Amino acid sequence: MSGRRVAVTGLGVVSPVGIGAEASWDALVNGRSGVADITLFDASDYEIHIAGEVKGFDATQYMDGKDARRHDRNTHLAVAATGEALRHAGLLNADGALDAGQADPDRFGMVVGTAIGGIGMIADGVQTLLERGPNRISPFLLPHMIPDAASGMVAIQYGIRGPNMAVVSACATGGHAIGEAMESIVRGQADLMLGAGTEAVIVPLALAGFGQMKALGSPIDPDTGEYNPQGASRPFDATRNGFVVSEGCAVLVLEELGHALARGVTPIAEVIGYGSSADAFHMAAPAVRGEGNQRAMRAALERAGIGPERVDYINAHGTSTPLNDRYESMAISDVFGEHASRLAISSTKGMTGHMMGAAGAFEGFVCARVAQSGLIPPTINYRHPDPELTLDYVPNAARQTDARVTLSNSMGLGGHNSSIIMRRYEE
Amino acid sequence: MSRDPARRAVITGMGAITPIGNDAETFWANLTAGVSGAGPITAYDPTGEEVRIAAEVKGFDPVTWMDFKQARRMARFSQLAVAAAAQAIAQSGLQITDANRDDIAVVLNTGGGGIGDVALGERVFLEHGGKRVSPFMVPMLSPSMAACQISIQNGLRGPVITSVAACASGVQAFVEAQRLIEHGDADVVITGGTESAILPVAFAALANMGALSKRNDDPTHASRPFDANRDGFVFGEGAAVMVVEAAEHAERRGAAILAEVAGGALTSDAFHISAPDPTGSGAMRAMQRGLKDAGVEPEAVDYVVAHGTGTPLNDATETLAIRSAFGAHADRLAVSSNKSMIGHTLGAAGAMSALAAVCSIRDGVVPPTINYETPDPACDLDYVPNVAARRQVNVAIINGFGFGGQNAVAVFRRYA
Repeated sequence: MSGRRVAVTGLGVVSPVGIGAEASWDALVNGRSGVADITLFDASDYEIHIAGEVKGFDATQYMDGKDARRHDRNTHLAVAATGEALRHAGLLNADGALDAGQADPDRFGMVVGTAIGGIGMIADGVQTLLERGPNRISPFLLPHMIPDAASGMVAIQYGIRGPNMAVVSACATGGHAIGEAMESIVRGQADLMLGAGTEAVIVPLALAGFGQMKALGSPIDPDTGEYNPQGASRPFDATRNGFVVSEGCAVLVLEELGHALARGVTPIAEVIGYGSSADAFHMAAPAVRGEGNQRAMRAALERAGIGPERVDYINAHGTSTPLNDRYESMAISDVFGEHASRLAISSTKGMTGHMMGAAGAFEGFVCARVAQSGLIPPTINYRHPDPELTLDYVPNAARQTDARVTLSNSMGLGGHNSSIIMRRYEE
Repeated sequence: MSRDPARRAVITGMGAITPIGNDAETFWANLTAGVSGAGPITAYDPTGEEVRIAAEVKGFDPVTWMDFKQARRMARFSQLAVAAAAQAIAQSGLQITDANRDDIAVVLNTGGGGIGDVALGERVFLEHGGKRVSPFMVPMLSPSMAACQISIQNGLRGPVITSVAACASGVQAFVEAQRLIEHGDADVVITGGTESAILPVAFAALANMGALSKRNDDPTHASRPFDANRDGFVFGEGAAVMVVEAAEHAERRGAAILAEVAGGALTSDAFHISAPDPTGSGAMRAMQRGLKDAGVEPEAVDYVVAHGTGTPLNDATETLAIRSAFGAHADRLAVSSNKSMIGHTLGAAGAMSALAAVCSIRDGVVPPTINYETPDPACDLDYVPNVAARRQVNVAIINGFGFGGQNAVAVFRRYA
């Protein structure tokens, strides 16, 4: 394997807990939930009508009004978060385009993933077709609803001309996006890559589909019976009963270390490991004891060339479904052995809900910040320890540690698993 | 770039469900015979619509390849892929066991995934309410479910990856597969593309874009890449899947090697969400970088399996890009578009082109571009008009260019 190391040099976030990486991080370390009643459409008829929405987002602040009107929300979120990440990395010029003095656009690519892309746009198109006929279907429907519309538009908006693809692996997408982007740099295909996930699934049809799967967490407080959306996502808590659907986008600028240092940029963290596997088990249920998740974590450790005892923190997939959290805990115990009890593990989905294809990228952002600072965001809503789940889930309050090596797990419908390992940057 | 010989990526099995045949050999026989798979739409009643023709898969019965219950819970794009994968695995002779299943990956790409199930779900939702939406809708429509189903049906536990780059998706799959093999992330990769979106909303959208041919009365002559009177593409469906494996792995088990995937490249136009950069520079860079990645000189290329959609803009731009990438050698290339026969199968198109590339290397035959009648001054290469050409092919490249400006090129080479 080549000696090319991969640094994280920019972060951009648009999430249910804040617009911007700093705002989102501040919410996370203070344990603030972004879950509330749905406002994007009238969801009052739905049994469960809460979500983690991105609040106060105006696409026209980030892109041309005409482009904004034509594109799906998942693309809006991606364009916005990418702008922040590129600016953070010092890669934009005064006009908001890629600064060619900082990076060769042909050596700069991206993997912008999504679980489903413009599902709202397809659903609207079908409604138009049924109610008003084929001639009223927008000619922009197909190029704007496909899952790679966001990666195409981000490339156009900022003039990024290298390898470009949209990885799709359900809720493991964000992890795969970071991993594949890292590999593109290691293999020498590019010097800079965006690793990103974006999702905007808070639309009537998708909410109906998730509701029918009986997969959504209830906003009714298990102790008091009170209505409390912010308590609905309770990863690892004994009373957990489903996930909260949410949306957002996170973008990591990954850069070959020498390239970053030559620009005078101090890396936020280093990405050192990536593992990917399939359960080959079931289209909707995870494999017993997180067997596939275990192989992904082991592959990531091997790729990073470190033993399990070197890992300090795991940002869990931790969806708050009964099965996921149980199997993931078992998988961590099996892979890390005695060291499992010394790990700090938290699921930020308690605060953000499940951002689907964006979740792994958002959690990659969290892992970069934890590796940089040692400050670990908590698992909120943790009140009832599950006797079967005995690991340290960093309950309810952030914890300052000296964590330096962090691992992010993501798993997806159909049996996708990805694990990413980051490390504090030290010269 | 020199590659570890043991980690060269070779092809040992092929499968296909296409508008001109439901296995790879039938597909290839019809492709070289110039048979069109286009016809009137049968998937739904298109009466009164602007476009009423498509290149549909015919006579596909999923229960030939999987049990009835599994088939019912699988979107058609997944069914086609599972069937094509079963054929490819059977041809390769690969035995999947506990000893190797963790080292077998799946890279199965698509453009739209389960768009048909989204449309069906929305219709149910509007007419009967959210409570009648299928609990299987979400997993069925997920674009990565074709890859997952191949993994589940065959017990393959290595990386399972779906990447979407619109019409370049199928080419990208082979670029990714080669890299997984080269870097040791997998010993075998089941790879290809699949698409099935013959449904009213997709046709309405493509027709309103002006992307589709409107020769409703003459479907078999509607797709005419590089012809002066081309007026858009014919929308098709299907899946093509191959078994790609490390050379040492294939040789150790005595598998017949059909060809090598030598490398490839991806680039982005960063130009427009649906139109190609008219200078063809993104496409040109993809060809140049793909050849460089494969360690192949441009002069060594015999055959370019063109993206060749039959839209006025694509074919002229692609011609320009081929000229820019190959210089004087462009006039010695055979360049043909199988979309003249199978239509444009979007995310599967690149995988069908990969079949054409491998079979041309194996058999020394280049399939034609049919319906080529009137030369266009903007398209002045050798498009192998109307009749297949006998020609030794040592190196073939496949082009795929997608909405949003994603370009992908993969390089196939005779294995020696």
